[in-house]
Amino acid sequence: MHAERLLDDNILLEELRKGSSEAVEALFERFHGKIYGLAMSILKNESDAEEAAQDVFLTVFQKAHTFKGNSALYSWIYRICVNACLMRLRGKRRQETVSIEEFMPVFTEDGMHASPVGDWSKEVERKTLDKELGTVIKKFTEDLSEKYRVVFVLSDVEGLSNEETAQILGLTVPAVKSRLHRARLYLREQLSRYLREGKTA
Amino acid sequence: MNCKELVYLLGDYLDGSMEEHLRAELDTHIEMCESCIHFRNTYDKTRIICRQVQLNEIPEEFRERLRSFVTAKGGEYSREIEKYRRMAAEDRRKQVESLLRAFREQRLSPSLTLLFDTHRDRCEKCGAFIRTLNGGEEAKHVPLEIEEHLAEFLDALPPGEEPFRA
Ligand SMILES: [Zn+2]
Repeated sequence: MHAERLLDDNILLEELRKGSSEAVEALFERFHGKIYGLAMSILKNESDAEEAAQDVFLTVFQKAHTFKGNSALYSWIYRICVNACLMRLRGKRRQETVSIEEFMPVFTEDGMHASPVGDWSKEVERKTLDKELGTVIKKFTEDLSEKYRVVFVLSDVEGLSNEETAQILGLTVPAVKSRLHRARLYLREQLSRYLREGKTA
Repeated sequence: MNCKELVYLLGDYLDGSMEEHLRAELDTHIEMCESCIHFRNTYDKTRIICRQVQLNEIPEEFRERLRSFVTAKGGEYSREIEKYRRMAAEDRRKQVESLLRAFREQRLSPSLTLLFDTHRDRCEKCGAFIRTLNGGEEAKHVPLEIEEHLAEFLDALPPGEEPFRA
């Protein structure tokens, strides 16, 4: 068995169903980083994310024979991961999150921007993505409530299509679009405030 | 088109899924409105930089611990592969059972009702058998062949909706 063959979803699954240890290894290599990252962004806690990641691999072993390949392998695994995380979140005290409403754009009665909007897009381009900005974005994301955070992470960070995100979370596509839009509006505003204050400081 | 409407539609505008005539209206507004140009630029930039952020890389120590866990559990799994195969077969049997029970008790979701009705009306494999269930209260023994056939029917269902009402 050549290792590259295991990059093919169907072959990987087939080998996994036979119990091949190479397939287990290939599964780990391909997905552990994504699983952990996704679990961290939902659970915001390293040891919870580690346990959730363990759950995901166990579930994949248990369900490898039942999974029929109606969706892509990664999307099935993401779905298992989201479910594993949501189960862990249940019963936990919710951490305080920011109220997203405070960061929504404000308009006048006739639908104009209530105050002029500045443009920092070029500024950020020049800075490329420095470490500080990365940390700040991470913090802003963590402050979002889970409802928005999970959609945002799947769509904008992981780059899944709205359809895939909807399927993984059991939401409709319009619901995904609307949550994603609000999450972006929130982050845009947070970044604006951060960059504006950074300049005056 | 005003600024508020434009902001509301930005997601569709930027991902290209917007109808031509709406796009034209947005373009017209944006050409005259500096705040909206800035809003669009920064909204788009937000999307782009977030994709470059490595949200959470797994720490080395965690990676190795998780690797040992997965290797160990993967080994157990490999040795008990027959058990998992049986469990999968059992799962399928139960699913078919629930489908038929929900059908008898008229708890199928609206879209599954439609799909299932059209399917069994013209299916040579399961149509006759399902007709014997109509109105019946009791669970009937399902022939293996039909069970396999209905499991395939369930596998092909589009995801995203609970097929049975509780
Ligand atoms: Zn405007």
